[in-house]
Amino acid sequence: MQTVTQVGRELTTFEGDPSRPPAGWHRGYRWAVSGAVMLVLSLLLVGCRGDASFPNRPITLICPWSAGGGSDRVARQIAAQLERELGVPVNVINATGGGGVTGHTRGAQARPDGYTLTLITAELTMLHWRGLTNITHEDFQPLTLVNRDNAALFVREEAPWSSLDDLEQAIREQPGELRASGTAFGGIWHLSLAGWLIEMGLSADAVTWVSLDGSAPSLQELMAGGVSLVACSVPEAQSLLEAGRIRSLGVMAPERLPGYSGIPTFSEQGVEWTSGTWRGLALPEGVPDERARVLSEAVQQVLSSDEYRSFLESAGFGPPDLPPDRFEAFLERQDRQNGAVLTSDAFAAVQSQQYGPWLFPSIVMGLLALTIAPLAWRGKLTVPADAQTLTRSGVGRVSLAVGAVAFYIVAAETLGYLLTMALLLVVLFWRYRAKWYVAGAVTLILVPLTYQLFAVYLRVPLPWGWLGW
Amino acid sequence: MSDAILQAFQQVVLAPEIWAVILFSALYGVFVGSIPGLTATMAVALFVPVTFWLGPVPALAAIVTMVACAIFAGDIPTALLRIPGTPASAAYAEDAYYYTQRGEPERALGVSLLGSVAGGLFGAVGLMLLGHQLAELATFFSVAEYFWLYLLGLTSAVIVSRGSLLKGLLGMLIGLLLSTVGLSPVHTEARFTFGQPELFQGINFIPAMIGLFGLSEVLRNLVDLSGRGSARETSATESSAAETGGAVEAVADTAAEVATLAQRYLVRPVASVFSTAWQLLSTRLTHSLRSGVIGALVGMLPGAGADIAAWVSMGASKRFSDTPEAYGTNSLEGVSDAATANSSALASTWIPALVFGIPGDSITAIVIGVLLMKNLNPGPAIFEEQTVLVYSLYLAFIVANLVLLAVGLLAIKVGRYVVRVPRRILLPIIVLFCIVGSYALQTSYFDVGVMLGTGVLAFWLERREVPMGPVVLGLILGAPLEARLIQTLTAADGSLLAFFNRPIAGLLGAACILVWISTVALNLRSKQPDD
Repeated sequence: MQTVTQVGRELTTFEGDPSRPPAGWHRGYRWAVSGAVMLVLSLLLVGCRGDASFPNRPITLICPWSAGGGSDRVARQIAAQLERELGVPVNVINATGGGGVTGHTRGAQARPDGYTLTLITAELTMLHWRGLTNITHEDFQPLTLVNRDNAALFVREEAPWSSLDDLEQAIREQPGELRASGTAFGGIWHLSLAGWLIEMGLSADAVTWVSLDGSAPSLQELMAGGVSLVACSVPEAQSLLEAGRIRSLGVMAPERLPGYSGIPTFSEQGVEWTSGTWRGLALPEGVPDERARVLSEAVQQVLSSDEYRSFLESAGFGPPDLPPDRFEAFLERQDRQNGAVLTSDAFAAVQSQQYGPWLFPSIVMGLLALTIAPLAWRGKLTVPADAQTLTRSGVGRVSLAVGAVAFYIVAAETLGYLLTMALLLVVLFWRYRAKWYVAGAVTLILVPLTYQLFAVYLRVPLPWGWLGW
Repeated sequence: MSDAILQAFQQVVLAPEIWAVILFSALYGVFVGSIPGLTATMAVALFVPVTFWLGPVPALAAIVTMVACAIFAGDIPTALLRIPGTPASAAYAEDAYYYTQRGEPERALGVSLLGSVAGGLFGAVGLMLLGHQLAELATFFSVAEYFWLYLLGLTSAVIVSRGSLLKGLLGMLIGLLLSTVGLSPVHTEARFTFGQPELFQGINFIPAMIGLFGLSEVLRNLVDLSGRGSARETSATESSAAETGGAVEAVADTAAEVATLAQRYLVRPVASVFSTAWQLLSTRLTHSLRSGVIGALVGMLPGAGADIAAWVSMGASKRFSDTPEAYGTNSLEGVSDAATANSSALASTWIPALVFGIPGDSITAIVIGVLLMKNLNPGPAIFEEQTVLVYSLYLAFIVANLVLLAVGLLAIKVGRYVVRVPRRILLPIIVLFCIVGSYALQTSYFDVGVMLGTGVLAFWLERREVPMGPVVLGLILGAPLEARLIQTLTAADGSLLAFFNRPIAGLLGAACILVWISTVALNLRSKQPDD
């Protein structure tokens, strides 16, 4: 704040408009008073709450995957029901990117006050083994599993293998000959298959994995003959399965899946191997027990509701078949399993590729150097003479706008949205010499209005500060 | 197929909430377009955070409408103040302003409005005819073809950007370099992340666009807050605008009288706007058709949008005109043809965006970001899997242009108030929307930082005349370009032959290399006399 006003004050001295009296303290005083009035009013308009019961303000549910996808649908279903249980809004935030790193990191590093939940997914037990993040399941306080989909192996109807044994034989006879897919390289379905191979004493690359984006294109490739084996969840393959075009050699689940009793499990065929994708809810480490208990009870109410069960069924997701107190042990086991596969030599060998991640940036940087050199040499990288001249007061105005954005980044979390924005607008209007009553009216209307639009209608958790929103 | 059309019809024409969204975005588009210095791209960039909470159809309908309206509304300050409201209007600023000086601003604006609507409808038809055809062709494309296509797109963006070729190239490379931040698309290895978890997701595209086109516009406008006009204009324009301020005032007063009458007689104001325009359009059908075609073709070139379409069409119009000497001073034909072309280009910029994921201009670059955010991947598959969405988009273009006819008329009548909204009030408001927009997507302060960084970068680069179009294209095409490059190389075991040994790939590759060689050759030859 200090720096912003300083810039502003310096700016005043450079204003060389003779028709105006120099901006003195008189004008500043009027601005300060009107600014203060505006702040108070805009706070009153929205109102603040300060009671101590938990929860008393909106809860954020972080989903590490993008809107419209499977995880997002699960998150939004839980949020909608949790909202009714808890009586406060539960807002889903899609913190996407980095293959799940972004969302999981934000969830783990959130303030442990019980107001931030994370929908953790199987990637939590995979990413850190590949060195992509330091976040592991130990950074979270697990609440419960909310959905589990076990992997199953699918082959074409006319494939020569009738059981897991047949397939194993075929792989042993010609390692690396069979091609399989289901997801991108290193994805959960790949790990399910590779883990089974390792469990059987085979190498992880005894079946060549073709990296495709997701189960749908993989199944398409299976039908076209490009791969002979697909690992994915049963609901994902349902339509082809029902049409009799593909069949399953087994599902990597402890028991046969409800609704798919025709598919044998791996353990029935003598292989103790279970694997699959899952989603759960977790809090950042350090949430007070009392709050965690409130949340945990509400979540259990949601999970046991008919509404949630029928949602899972209609969306093709498997139900969470695990009591909450065993969730932590489940995470441990998943982490160990995935670690064994991801750190195996065969997997590391498959992963190293000839055309590495720095090839493209190197080309770009080389070309960049080749472009900048002649431009700089001919002096073309300076501001041309016919461009608008940047006066000192212009510099002041530009830096003030930049400073305003920086101020929001630094201060919003402490001051809250309303206070930060109102301050920011008042200072900008003041330094840009807007008429004070127009500025006041605009601030008074716009700040609560954007709050209403984003925090209430669009349900974005805007920064929460001293005085509430 | 007819089923899909019916469904699309229900989703667009018969849905009340869509009409609410369309009406709101039409007014919003007119407002932003009318204000000198604020572009249609900025209108879209600031609106994106809201689309996050809309369904795909209303979101796309809103974008289509606001862009069509903003591009037309850019003509209002062009005609009234000789300051282009958006860059797309710059080509005919003199011609449109001439009629304001003569006290007939509505004549020129009527011509441009009717031209815009005709062009917009023409562009929509072009999109419908070409989209599906190209999508069918695109199903034959494999990684190598896409590699060349992306490269052609980037090349085109560099060539069509006005100014120095090297600076265009510089912009593109900066965009490509920015796109490599985060996890690499093929290897999922971290690059340029400096251990910051937020950087793993890379430069988030939407905040980057808000910075490149929202904040940077604010900063540029702040360089000189005293003038009334856009910072894009040189001081010469501003002083002449000040001189003629009195004339504008007088015109405004006359127009005010006309407006009072308008409330009593509904027919007269409409006639005053459209009489010349209708006459012009009906007698020059072939010219309008040519302008529509030019607009559609230019729009399809990656990196070339409405502004370039207007310049090209203006040039062609002059060549075919009986009165070429009037162009650049008082040619209504020029206004009509250029306004038709810039609106026609708007629809066709969607063609490469939908079919190949290569944006036709910076607006469709944002649209690709919106589609990805909604889990819709641009590509030929979208025409088969999302038929209803595609048909809804076509309908949205038609509806948007019909709405423009009404809203545009209103805008002509009240435009002179909007162009006067003081920038010292407006700019802080835009700063607020830049912040809250970039924050709201993921409630991430890091994204606000990205917005700030790209905003300052764009401001810095534009002062050095580095164009923004190639930067945006580099940013959005960087990841797929790299993925295709690595995939082709890996599949062929490093043999460069893989880039040429399929017929279409060979053709595209040869075309690409030919374009490079000829551009460099032409550039060197034209340089010779200068240096």
